[in-house]
Amino acid sequence: MENTTLSHHLVLAGILFVIGLSGVLIRRNLLVVYMCLELMLTASTLALVAFSRFNNTMDGAIFVFFIITVAAAEVAVGLALIVALFRQRQTVSSEKLNTLCD
Amino acid sequence: MNSVSLLHWILFLPLGAAAFSAFFLRRHGAFAAWFSTLTAFIIAGLALTILTQTSEDIKWHYELGKIGGISLGFGYLIDAHARLMLFVVSFVAAWIHLFSVGYMKDDGARGRFFAGLSIFMFSILGIVVADNLLMTFIFWELVGFSSYMLIAHYFDTDFAAEASKKAFITNRIGDLGFILGIALCLKLYGTLDFAELKLQAGSAVPIALGLLLMCGFLGKSAQFPLHVWLTDAMAGPTPVSALIHAATMVAAGVYFMARISFLLAPEVLDWMAISGAGMAALAGFCALAQTDIKKSLAYSTLAHLGIMGCAIGLGHPELAVLHMAMHAFFKATLFLGAGSVIHGCHHEQDMLKMGGLLKKMPITAATFIAATLSNCAVPFFAGWYSKDAIIEASWHGGHFIVFGFLALAAVATCLYSGRMIRLVFMGAPNSKAATHAHESPWTMTLPISVLGIVYAIGAGFAANILIPHSSLQVVEKSLNAMAFHLTSPATIVGAVALILGYLSFRFYGLFVGQDSLQKISPRTYQLLEYRWMDTLYNWYIDKVQRRFAELIVFLDLLVINGLAVRWIAGGTFAALGHVSNAIFHRGQARANAIWITLGSLLFIWFLLR
Repeated sequence: MENTTLSHHLVLAGILFVIGLSGVLIRRNLLVVYMCLELMLTASTLALVAFSRFNNTMDGAIFVFFIITVAAAEVAVGLALIVALFRQRQTVSSEKLNTLCD
Repeated sequence: MNSVSLLHWILFLPLGAAAFSAFFLRRHGAFAAWFSTLTAFIIAGLALTILTQTSEDIKWHYELGKIGGISLGFGYLIDAHARLMLFVVSFVAAWIHLFSVGYMKDDGARGRFFAGLSIFMFSILGIVVADNLLMTFIFWELVGFSSYMLIAHYFDTDFAAEASKKAFITNRIGDLGFILGIALCLKLYGTLDFAELKLQAGSAVPIALGLLLMCGFLGKSAQFPLHVWLTDAMAGPTPVSALIHAATMVAAGVYFMARISFLLAPEVLDWMAISGAGMAALAGFCALAQTDIKKSLAYSTLAHLGIMGCAIGLGHPELAVLHMAMHAFFKATLFLGAGSVIHGCHHEQDMLKMGGLLKKMPITAATFIAATLSNCAVPFFAGWYSKDAIIEASWHGGHFIVFGFLALAAVATCLYSGRMIRLVFMGAPNSKAATHAHESPWTMTLPISVLGIVYAIGAGFAANILIPHSSLQVVEKSLNAMAFHLTSPATIVGAVALILGYLSFRFYGLFVGQDSLQKISPRTYQLLEYRWMDTLYNWYIDKVQRRFAELIVFLDLLVINGLAVRWIAGGTFAALGHVSNAIFHRGQARANAIWITLGSLLFIWFLLR
């Protein structure tokens, strides 16, 4: 732990973010896409925690508390939507959910 | 209780019943049904009291406020037309309520349904008693709303949902003209009160005023070219069709036109006479090519509405109101009878699959046939008095084209009536449903017996006993002026029509389980199915109106919003937006995500550069 710097944490957060982003772009299953979105969010909270730790302020850490709280609620809603969508259409593939397109 | 407070009760009782049912009785269907029916009968009783106890015109006005020097009021004006209308509406509607108790027995949403019936009553009674144009308009819109709600009762079927939209939108088109007419009236005369308007309107009324006010009538009373909604409106439950076709909605237009007939210029009247008679003939023949019993009846209503519009155009609004009253009795019976048949045949509506019901459902059959004879204007039945008087009036007035159309309509009426009776009640059952048909319970047979046997047959010659005398004063005068002779043109037309009707009855017995006309001349049948009007409207909306709207949107977004307001900075992006909308917007969530990512990367690169 002695020789880890801010950069290490930020690079890790960046890697997590890119993994999440590529998942969002590549995968078609809405459930996986949703998990990847959460991964992107987590990456940003990791960066916030790192900033908070290395700048010796509590701002970022408190911010993260709020983000996690809201994210928990958001996950509940999002998963419920996906379940409802599946009941309606019997599919959660983003390719097949394109009725809004003309 | 004086007559004004009686009118308060008549008008607001249904509103109260509707509110109570809608808020508290949604889950108590059986109670809502009887509650609503009870209020309907109380209203009918109160209306009868008004008619028997008072003979003078009733006037009452309460000023709600003034806007720009124009008084906006709420008031009652009960003249002879209003008396007859009040009686017909409340009386017929009460029996339809009772019928619904039986017909809707197994429906899950009875609370909503009966609340809808009550609010429908409230709306139409408001039009009947209204003493000014604005109040009429408000209740006019309420009629539109309540019909929408009731037609869409089975809203989970596409057919009902679309029919209700069609009815509502078509009516809205007519109402645009109506409200412009009200504005013009205000500009010309400075008042909206019927009594004051009558005093002020001289002999030279502008054509535009009549035309605009007529637009409302075209929509509500389903006159050409806004008649397309009525035949689809039978997607609602059968009692609703009966209510719309007989007592409430379409009658409102005719009644309103009769009420403001002094505001109609001669040119407007001529148009109404010609178009009404023309539509009567067309719709009459179209009824021959419908297999759905309710749809066939709907075309029959269109024909009769055409005749009513024509009567107003001929300068005999009192005959139009009389025909509306007689029509209400026999058409309500026909629709309720059709409802009873549908109920008995386990929701089979195809006439070709019925047959032989005379023995299975004797009461329904007897009342249906009585009402049909009235519909055909058999002498001394209710329909004969009003319809033949109108045909006679067209001959006496020298409108021979109108007379020709009306004669065709009379013939068509007898033809489709003969067909209907033959297909539904005679011969052998053509399907399992018809074989196992059963007579309906008393809540359904009692209303059709009262309306059918007593009124559809007797309302004409026993009018003085069956219909309160005071409501007939106006009509009597005009009936006496049109003394009937055996050799009068209307009688000859009627006799020929009846003979043809009998021949049609025999003709449709030729082929079992098939439509004889379709068998012999499929092309004529196809033409009479009357799909081409909808095709025409669809073509117009899709190819003309929609293209025009798209052009306007394009001009607005690009030229006005983009170039003119925000000049190049805004215009460029408006144009880009159009391009990207056409190229990139493909409804794929992944594609959108990729574009957002690329956009963000571009933005980050731009910042870090």
